[in-house]
Amino acid sequence: MQNQEGPKADGEFEAAASTPTPEFDDWPNFGDDDIMQQQSAIRAEEADKTPFVGDKEPLSSLAAEYKSGSPILLEKIKVLGEKYDAIRRTRGDGNCFFRSFMFSYLEHILESQDRKEVDHVKVNVEQCRKTLQSLGYADFTFEDFFALFLEQLESVLQGNETSISQDELLLRSRDQSISDYVVMFFRFVTSGEIRRRSEFFEPFITGLTNTTVEQFCKSSVEPMGEESDHVHITALSDALGVPIRVVYLDRSSCDSGGVSVNHHDFIPAVGDVTNASGSSETVSPFITLLYRPGHYDILYPK
Amino acid sequence: MQASRARLFKEYKEVQREKMADPDIQLVCDDSNIFKWTALIKGPSETPYEGGIFQLAFAVPEQYPLQPPQVRFLTKIFHPNVHFKTGEICLDILKNAWSPAWTLQSVCRAIIALMAHPEPDSPLNCDSGNLLRSGDIRGYQSMARMYTRLAAMPKKG
Repeated sequence: MQNQEGPKADGEFEAAASTPTPEFDDWPNFGDDDIMQQQSAIRAEEADKTPFVGDKEPLSSLAAEYKSGSPILLEKIKVLGEKYDAIRRTRGDGNCFFRSFMFSYLEHILESQDRKEVDHVKVNVEQCRKTLQSLGYADFTFEDFFALFLEQLESVLQGNETSISQDELLLRSRDQSISDYVVMFFRFVTSGEIRRRSEFFEPFITGLTNTTVEQFCKSSVEPMGEESDHVHITALSDALGVPIRVVYLDRSSCDSGGVSVNHHDFIPAVGDVTNASGSSETVSPFITLLYRPGHYDILYPK
Repeated sequence: MQASRARLFKEYKEVQREKMADPDIQLVCDDSNIFKWTALIKGPSETPYEGGIFQLAFAVPEQYPLQPPQVRFLTKIFHPNVHFKTGEICLDILKNAWSPAWTLQSVCRAIIALMAHPEPDSPLNCDSGNLLRSGDIRGYQSMARMYTRLAAMPKKG
């Protein structure tokens, strides 16, 4: 590993970024930076295939994907078709749960103009801010992400100068500088909630990764691109007081012959929700996500 | 670009305010470019780096803080996780475990912690890593101390 690598001039950073093909015959000099660059090149390629948030597609496009695949899946998609009529795909970049949640939530507010829900979630967002502060996070590390989410929330409410249309919401969700910031906002909220209630989440986390709650948040919640599990979903749903339905599409089947599609409702811990709705009626999720092992997309009920 | 600039400006103000809080770290922004920083960090005590002052160079990308800063040692250092020639650092938070919850200041703290607790199983400097892995603590320490003395201490006279 001699002489090839002189001290890197700072300018080389940009220069190298524009030549994403590393020299493979140069293994000794194949440093971490090169690996990172290769990874971002792969991500860029992936980005060309699927936008962060796709267009709404009929459920038949899902069936087409499995045309020659597992009959159980095709059967389940048929069952799915009884209740749902469309799907919106998100990019499989490890942020798909948060990204799906983001679009689905903002789209719901845009369509329902539910100001009560907005007020309710804003109260919870302020609570999350306090949580992070009390956990020792410096304000400047998270406040930009909070501000950007609140800005999106305001703009989907109509009647302001800053109000946006459905098309504009989609554009923003595909704009990395907005979309990734909102995803990161959710990651902060999720991390704060898990750490605030670490005793509650600890057994689940130990079961998943065998690390401490703090390590889990640092390595599996806060970094972008880290995939979400039920721990993340529970924490986000609780922290924001927003119920989430996850429909599972996998190969599992039951013995009785009939195929059914399972779903699980993440209902925020009591208190938050009943306070908001002002009554104790059962909350039904307005966010429905389709889970296929390793990935989340958005589902639209009929 | 605008977002990263705003964030870096906040960090700059924080660094000015907290200057005295962490005497082991001196973080300085380039006069003309807020995306370029250098830091002087003190080698942690009870390590072969004790007594040394190490200079780090930060190149902050435009997507900061969604993407980590690029950091390398400008001062020569003999450490399993630092490339002996380029000064490149192998530290998870500078790669895939990065999150915007980190700051330039806390990255410096993490690097000081790495100096005190090398991870010989993911070496960038194989010679250094092999000494530790084979249990030759004395060999590692004397090499590291020698380079600290040669490169990280003020020349006498």
